[in-house]
Amino acid sequence: MEVLAYQGLIGLSSAMYLWLISAGLTIIFGVLGVLNFAHGSLFMLGAYLGYTLYGLAGFPFGLAVAASVGAVALLGAAVERGLLRPLYGLDPSYQLLLTFGLVLFLDDLAKLVWGGVFRIPPIPGWLQGAVVAFGRPFPHYNLFLMGVGLLVALGLWLAFDRTWWGRAVRATASDREMASALGIRTPAVFSSVFFLGSGLAALGGALSTPVRPVSPGVGAAMIVQAFIITVIGGLGNLRGAFVGSLLVGVLSSYGTLWFPEFELFFIFAIMAGVLLVRPQGLFAP
Amino acid sequence: MRTVWIPVVVVCLLLAASWSAAGPVTCALGVPTIKLGVQGVASGPHADYGRQIEMGAQLAIEEINAAGGILGCRLEMRFMDDENRPAVGVRNARFLVTEWGAHFLYGTDSSGVAMALGPVLRELDRIQFFTHAATHRLTEELVAQQKIKQIVRVSAPVYQDAVAAWLFRDRRDVRRWATIGADYEYGYATWAIFREQMRRLRPDVEFVGAAWAPFLTTDFSPHIAAVMATNPDGIIATPWAGEAVTLLRQALLQGVFDRIKVWFQAMGGSVDVLEGISPEVKEGRFQGKLYATARYIHNWPNTETNRSFVSRFAKRWNRMPNYSAETTYSAVYITKAAVEKARSLQTDRVIAALQGMRIETPAGLRVFRSEDHQFVYAVPAGKVVWDPRYPIAVLGELKVFDPKDYWRWPPFRALELSK
Amino acid sequence: MNPVTRRWALAALGGFLLLLPLVGSRYVVYLTIHILLLAVNAVGFNLLFGYTGLLSFGQAGFYAVGAYTCARILLAWPSLLPGLVGGTAAAAAAAFVLGYLSVRHTRIYFAMLTLAFGMMIFSLAWKWRAVTGGDDGLVGVPRAPLELLGWTVPLPTVERYYYVVLVVAVVAIALMYRLVHSPLGLALRAVRDSEVRAGHVGLNVRVLRLVAFTVAGAYAGLAGALLPPLENTVTPPIAHWTASAEPVLATLLGGIRHFAGPLVGAFLLVAVKDVIVRFTVHWSLVLGAVVVVLVLGFRGGVASALEALLVRAQARPRGVSAPAGEEAP
Repeated sequence: MEVLAYQGLIGLSSAMYLWLISAGLTIIFGVLGVLNFAHGSLFMLGAYLGYTLYGLAGFPFGLAVAASVGAVALLGAAVERGLLRPLYGLDPSYQLLLTFGLVLFLDDLAKLVWGGVFRIPPIPGWLQGAVVAFGRPFPHYNLFLMGVGLLVALGLWLAFDRTWWGRAVRATASDREMASALGIRTPAVFSSVFFLGSGLAALGGALSTPVRPVSPGVGAAMIVQAFIITVIGGLGNLRGAFVGSLLVGVLSSYGTLWFPEFELFFIFAIMAGVLLVRPQGLFAP
Repeated sequence: MRTVWIPVVVVCLLLAASWSAAGPVTCALGVPTIKLGVQGVASGPHADYGRQIEMGAQLAIEEINAAGGILGCRLEMRFMDDENRPAVGVRNARFLVTEWGAHFLYGTDSSGVAMALGPVLRELDRIQFFTHAATHRLTEELVAQQKIKQIVRVSAPVYQDAVAAWLFRDRRDVRRWATIGADYEYGYATWAIFREQMRRLRPDVEFVGAAWAPFLTTDFSPHIAAVMATNPDGIIATPWAGEAVTLLRQALLQGVFDRIKVWFQAMGGSVDVLEGISPEVKEGRFQGKLYATARYIHNWPNTETNRSFVSRFAKRWNRMPNYSAETTYSAVYITKAAVEKARSLQTDRVIAALQGMRIETPAGLRVFRSEDHQFVYAVPAGKVVWDPRYPIAVLGELKVFDPKDYWRWPPFRALELSK
Repeated sequence: MNPVTRRWALAALGGFLLLLPLVGSRYVVYLTIHILLLAVNAVGFNLLFGYTGLLSFGQAGFYAVGAYTCARILLAWPSLLPGLVGGTAAAAAAAFVLGYLSVRHTRIYFAMLTLAFGMMIFSLAWKWRAVTGGDDGLVGVPRAPLELLGWTVPLPTVERYYYVVLVVAVVAIALMYRLVHSPLGLALRAVRDSEVRAGHVGLNVRVLRLVAFTVAGAYAGLAGALLPPLENTVTPPIAHWTASAEPVLATLLGGIRHFAGPLVGAFLLVAVKDVIVRFTVHWSLVLGAVVVVLVLGFRGGVASALEALLVRAQARPRGVSAPAGEEAP
């Protein structure tokens, strides 16, 4: 019936948001083997920059988003070159710890710069309004998010499948040494992947500002969601992350409808379950 | 080895200097200064509340010091961030009292932190004037039942959130109520008290739906959708601070305000929320259907005490005072009144001086309730409107109700917190 | 560090800790209790990480199991030892069960699994009002007296409780010292260094990992069980994954390759944060920067840096550089 369909539609737009926030994490893990705790902080920086450019400085929304994505992507690449690269030969635990240290640093830096109060810009005029779906208003904003999510999915697929760069990345992901032996400049590949992953995190952040106030804690809250999606989809499996987002987004939405006491517990139980039974993820090839 | 002695001698000299320098002039109460320890959330999405607590305390202290202090004693304050974590709040309280020497404590936003502080206050034998944490259990259980007399609450508790039942009592067109609730004790308690009161006032009302959003939810669209599927006339919502703004934004996008008759945002009268939704209020997008209350609002009552407080606060801090600022400001003045009456800083004497206290504060007349150490006062509820006299949205069309009607009074029965 | 120096250093430290309530303020004693709790927690964590090579982000879950179990016991039966023993045992049991499921996996998967399990425990603590008190937690937990061999020792003050914690912590740390210097300890290190080779030599890798995980969980649980009598309250945030970071950071700060690393790190983390917090609200910034610097430059942690300094200092007068000790002092 209409209620179910509408709830499902809402779930799909939630799913696209989840996809946007976990795509970057998945790519970085898949290629570099680094589980980037600081992903949430990059999301937060994207949101803050988006708010500053659009809400304070008055840039058009699209330009603000693009600029913050670019800035954070550059920051990500710099972090990779400067801080992570020295750790590549070592136990991956050190990389995890470094990114955790970055979280502590960046979250507090944001508080220093923007203050502790939450910030929210006005919503752009062209994102207000709604279409009618199943007898109820479905916001343009949610449609927009779904569109962006699909575009990103399409773009990533094209990039990895059809471009020279994509092939180099996939080669490096599957066998670092061989790729290097074949003449692929793996350090440059790593930096570019981190650039992309960070940019995606910032995209999620900047796009969310009209409907989600940004404050120093948003990264920490979001990173757990991203972890869960990435695990369910299979760490490093991009297609799995996309399908995993759909699963979690739609299921959570129905959970809110049918089980108002839908527990946080079950989400983590699913995450643990997937790790136990199929650590390669539910959607591994 | 001679080189080792030099630093030792230097350190000893410094210590001697500091000890001798610490021969202070004491005031009438026998201490160099009266020390006030203040705690609030200063990090994370709710960080503004701690900041407001700090600003309120600071303003009061500056005013009192300028007027000669308390019985000639200057006030000194120290603010610490409790990070919304009980472990940190407790550690800070111990530090403030045992290391720094605080005579009184103030603040605390989170109910969890407040509940954890209760037994520690008894151990430390220091009074804390709670200025935000709203759980009824703090006063009903810890004070009235367990007799932890060191707890005093200056801010209105969760009873205030259920004033919605009284606000809409005469709206015969609002019969189907639903909630989008904060998925923890505060949300459950509000919904429980609201329903209890509503059933008494309007037996014809139905409670048709509930969606529960955990702390730090950023996507309320499934909750909004789930609740709207039940076709409610009225919605009462308890997520607060940044989450309230998120919820209202997303509800606007989903066209909720076209379909419902009223939306009551429990702590929507808080300054940070009003700031966040001001653009939408100005454009009339809530269609006059958004109502709220708080634990104090700056535009009521229209007394000299309140008006001058608000203007001094705005001048000092360049912002409107939030409720946690006013409650903390008043708590410091309450301390002054009690200490002046007791002519002592001792916990027992000060508590005795609080008995029967009736004190004029910016929020109006506050009356001390001995059974649970709760200061009783009225806070209005009203519609969220745009008034050009103010820089941000405010509550208008205010209705004030007598706390005798909608607050819980001793003897206290346990509250059934079913969802 | 040569054995004679070491013994003097330990004696001096022991004397200082024993006399602390007499010379230090109540707050310092309180802070030291927290350092001891973190030390026990971290030393258990390092058994898992430094000695067995498994990074767990879920130790807070077991800490919480220990704390909540002890609290519930004390609320029903106000006697300290049953609370401590019960809490530790419950945490060990939980660690055994979850460890059985987890140790099949390694590295990132293991870390993620422990994070998920830890957060499941957090969700339970937050929601299960009947047992855990929900988001309000358990309040009014008594600082129950110590009842042993017919004696009852009441513990009304923080100072008295401090001595109980000190004894328990010292015993626990001493036990761990014996453990890592036993054949079991060697076996764990073998598993850490090369799982494949260890397997070929006949070591049962999975069982060894499970043992390490259970012991680490028990230690976290013991640390947790020592909490409720101190604070009289137990609340859900102690189970959150951000709390799991504490033993990790302490161990990293102090040095994972030394037995004393977690202990030094526990002291540093608590003391340094306490000092930083007095000057600035932005302690997280400083701590984050410190972590980054340590990971990049001083992966051995403070203990390694100190040891390097000591070696150089000792080497000078003799004119011959002494070889750096291979492992723990």
